[in-house]
Amino acid sequence: MDSLTLLEFNQLIKSVLDNSLDKSYWIIAEIGEMNVNQKGHCYLELVEKKDNYILAKNRATIWSYTFSNLSNWFENMTGTTLQSGMKVLVNASVQYHEVYGFSLNIKDVDPNFTIGERERKKQETIKRLEAEGIFDMNKSVSLPLIPQRIAIISSESAAGYGDFIHQLENNPYGYKVHAQLFQAVMQGDQAVESIIQSLHRIYNLENQFELVIIIRGGGAKTDLDCFDDYELCAHVAQFPLPVVTGIGHERDNTIVDLVANTRMKTPTAVAEFIISGFIDFESNINELYDQISSRSGEVIRRHDEYLSNLMYQLSLSVQNKVHQHDLILSKLEVNIKTRSLQTIEKQKNRLNLFEKSISAADPQKILERGFTITKINGQPMLKIKSIKTGDEVETTTKTGTIKSTVN
Amino acid sequence: MAKKKPSYKEAQSELEEIVNKLESESTDIDDLTELTKRATELVKYCREKLRSTEEELKANSE
Repeated sequence: MDSLTLLEFNQLIKSVLDNSLDKSYWIIAEIGEMNVNQKGHCYLELVEKKDNYILAKNRATIWSYTFSNLSNWFENMTGTTLQSGMKVLVNASVQYHEVYGFSLNIKDVDPNFTIGERERKKQETIKRLEAEGIFDMNKSVSLPLIPQRIAIISSESAAGYGDFIHQLENNPYGYKVHAQLFQAVMQGDQAVESIIQSLHRIYNLENQFELVIIIRGGGAKTDLDCFDDYELCAHVAQFPLPVVTGIGHERDNTIVDLVANTRMKTPTAVAEFIISGFIDFESNINELYDQISSRSGEVIRRHDEYLSNLMYQLSLSVQNKVHQHDLILSKLEVNIKTRSLQTIEKQKNRLNLFEKSISAADPQKILERGFTITKINGQPMLKIKSIKTGDEVETTTKTGTIKSTVN
Repeated sequence: MAKKKPSYKEAQSELEEIVNKLESESTDIDDLTELTKRATELVKYCREKLRSTEEELKANSE
């Protein structure tokens, strides 16, 4: 029976593999484990799973030079680093070493596949949240008019957090906001659990806060996959307080952004958003107050005008009355004058008449008409009872007095 | 100021009510002083509240 040494056998395997396989293949796999050693070589375990069963598994390597180029490029394209749990499309050649055995040498990774895969997963998560009826839940919680008590989920060391607090506390309007930090890991494997824990802590203090802010320093294109995680998104969506995000990234919205009540691009933008709400409110009440002032001014003016009118009418009617009475008095005056004149005239006539009749009775006038006055013994005739001889008769005529004696 | 501290929303709607009252021609001149006084109080209260933290507000109202 022919036999081979192990080396000969392994060499046989190697030549069969080399001869019958293409130079390289595009392979879809999930990164199981991944390590980079000091020399910069990357050692991976590629797997294919169905549910939680591993259906296939291979060791793979990316040599240092390739890896440094590849990982940078991959990160630029996808916004995320190569990491375990990620589905990738790799270009690999089969390597068989007589001592180290079988492995794949990865020469290229297609970032578009990972992007597509991530997008597919994202859509799946969105569909699931929608199907469960929780996708819009946080959006239906109304934002407080003036959120003065804010719970912040962030990492204290994050630049974004510092910016946010600075912006909030040093607003030029002097608005005061009470903000409390709930520490969380904001990237990487632990982020999901850590953020959910912070949400639970805030939930237990729900009455003390009006708003939850999830912020994270922007800039670096680091891993954001945690913000697409179903568990985290489900918690945020169902949170009883409105959630505002400022995750600070360039690429498309994460699902947390989509399920949050309000999405802002950066932490600074969140602070501006909060302060602008204060500004809006204050200018609104100032405007209302101005309206009240000008309206009440108008009301006063209106009443003032009314009173002035009333005064004017009053003085007019007083003047009228005075004028009327004046007329009546003038008439009376005229009447009285005419009447008195008439009376005087009448009296005058009567006096004249008197005068005439008096003058007719004047004895001189009677004498002039030829009558005489006779006195006996110096006595008027009327007083004489009898005439006797010797009585002295005095006869007064117009021209003189005749003295005679009775015979 | 009324005994109960109004919320921002309540203060705002009360101010709106006062505006409406003044807009209607029937405003009694006798109510005017009371209405403008109340409006001044509300605006002052809101302005102060915007600039103080919840703790300060609680301390003030106690």
